[in-house]
Amino acid sequence: MQFSFFPDVLKILPELMLALLALMVVIFDLFSGDASDEQRFADAASTTALGLVLVFGLVVLQGGYIVNRFIDPTTLDPTAGGAGGFFANIFRNLQVVTDPTPGPTGQPGNVLLNGAFIVDNLTMLARLLFIAAAFVTALLTRDYGATANPAEFYGLLLFSTIGMNLMAGAGEMITAYLSLELASVALYIMAGYFKGDLRSSEAGIKYYIFGALSSGVLLYGLSLWYGYAAYNQIPNPTTFSAIVQAVATGGTNSSLLYLALIFIIAGLGYKIAVVPFHSWSPDVYQGAPTPVTAFLSTASKSAGFFLLYRVLVDGFGPLAGSAAFAGEFGGWASILALIAFLTMTFGNLAAITQTNAKRLLAYSSIAHAGFLLMGLIAVFGSGQAGRFTQFGVPSLFYYLVTYTFTNLGAFGALAAISRVVGGDDLSDLNGLYRRNLGLAVLMAVFVLSLAGIPPLSGFFAKFLVFQAGWESGAIWLVVAAVLNTIISLYYYLRLLRHMFMSDPQAETRIGVPGGMNFSLILSAVLVLVLGLAPSFFLPAISVVTQAAGR
Amino acid sequence: MRSIVTAMPLEAILTVAAALFCIGLFGALSRRNIIGILMGVELMLNAVNINLIAFWRYLEPTNTSGLIFAIIAITVAAAEAAVGLAMVIAVYRTRLTINADEVDTLRG
Repeated sequence: MQFSFFPDVLKILPELMLALLALMVVIFDLFSGDASDEQRFADAASTTALGLVLVFGLVVLQGGYIVNRFIDPTTLDPTAGGAGGFFANIFRNLQVVTDPTPGPTGQPGNVLLNGAFIVDNLTMLARLLFIAAAFVTALLTRDYGATANPAEFYGLLLFSTIGMNLMAGAGEMITAYLSLELASVALYIMAGYFKGDLRSSEAGIKYYIFGALSSGVLLYGLSLWYGYAAYNQIPNPTTFSAIVQAVATGGTNSSLLYLALIFIIAGLGYKIAVVPFHSWSPDVYQGAPTPVTAFLSTASKSAGFFLLYRVLVDGFGPLAGSAAFAGEFGGWASILALIAFLTMTFGNLAAITQTNAKRLLAYSSIAHAGFLLMGLIAVFGSGQAGRFTQFGVPSLFYYLVTYTFTNLGAFGALAAISRVVGGDDLSDLNGLYRRNLGLAVLMAVFVLSLAGIPPLSGFFAKFLVFQAGWESGAIWLVVAAVLNTIISLYYYLRLLRHMFMSDPQAETRIGVPGGMNFSLILSAVLVLVLGLAPSFFLPAISVVTQAAGR
Repeated sequence: MRSIVTAMPLEAILTVAAALFCIGLFGALSRRNIIGILMGVELMLNAVNINLIAFWRYLEPTNTSGLIFAIIAITVAAAEAAVGLAMVIAVYRTRLTINADEVDTLRG
């Protein structure tokens, strides 16, 4: 194993910068002197948000989203003098990390440490998504009214973001486990952040107990997988590709392999809150501070999907099976199809009777995990393991991106309301349009996008996922999903009815602080633009199946 | 030279680990006391470590990935337990109980 310092550090430069930023936020706060708690919180939030913007820019450059898309890279001459040559050099040096051409050691140029971490287009997309989600969360928490220990809060937010980035780029199970824990442990603390508050501390401990239990289950699955790969004498048995090689030599007819698969699905199923493993999520979403709920219902769930994609598609690809139940059963697609059906049906039915807005959105996000799973099982066509379908991967990741910004916005708007009103029951939303019309319109945009109403991105995401499901042959699942969409309209419209057709409980205006306002408008604009111009984003999303470098 | 590899089949060790995992899972699901739940989780993690070490020793003793994995699992479990116990203290301070049945403000 060779470690060449310069390119290898560049490969994880965004994560290193995030770690540096986290330390900076903590250290700056030490020198805040006798500033008030509110001031310290605002300072830490601003530092975090600014730093995240910088890292976001770096990832955009590294991923080649600007240069390859809008500027022809061949016109960049690094030997030219002046500013042009300077920037061409910077770009070339930054983007060299995603070049998959094998280096002198024979391993692809875009992997780190024998494949422990992979820098491909999927990792780049995940970095953009998680950094943007952390940015929105930082702005949402800035004036939320949390006062104690600001630096620790933003430090945890950043470390959790690093963990999620590493999860999405993990190419090996030790990295995957370690990054999953880095992302989760920080989130446990953030969920229980108001430690004197009954509901927040309860949310923290519940999240922690379920998380620890499921990480034990996941680890047991990983250990069986390691055993299977080691039994077949695969070099580097902990990498995801080892399982493909092990299946090639040892065959798929091994109970060890299927046990490992089931334990891993159970362990990661907790992270994405799908039905048999969902019971923690309504409680935690309701009890955690609302901006934290926004972060953990979107970024954490997306990170789970990225890792699940890596494990199932890169690792267990030969065991994909089929979701269509047409003559073949036994792959993960069949298991996940069943889970997807249960998840969307249960989530939607349970959401109908809720009286708390946060809890309602929690059940709605369980239902959305079902739709997302539909995109994942459609990655491979029926009986064609290893061959990507046309819509599977783009639909999954397009749905993830739109879901992330929609739910960030929806929970963010709830945070803006509950910080003034003091509660988050549906009745607290009554007559919102008279108390703050702009906020009501923004909330309506998010809710309608979650419901899948045409001009908004939620519609296009659902459409793509249905198309992918149809293409993969799981027609029964598509029919169930369409019926579920109709059911979900009921409770989404109920939210709107409370906001627009009820009399307000008080006439006082609900003021929204600047940071919150900005992040809500940013999310709403993204939801609209993603829906109106999907063709602008789809190329960047479709390439995630390619190795790297676009 | 007799070693454990010749003296005992791999299956025996895996069975012990599986039994330990099941005991831990049962403990975590049936205990009312939050500390008891955490102890059950620790048993599950130890079962995983036995698995990893056994697979390493029997199947690829010249490599190190299984060992490294076990060491990392132990370290992470310790860090996780520290966070968990801190949270138990936070819950105890707000409610004066660590009985999981009584931590039930959130439901529905």
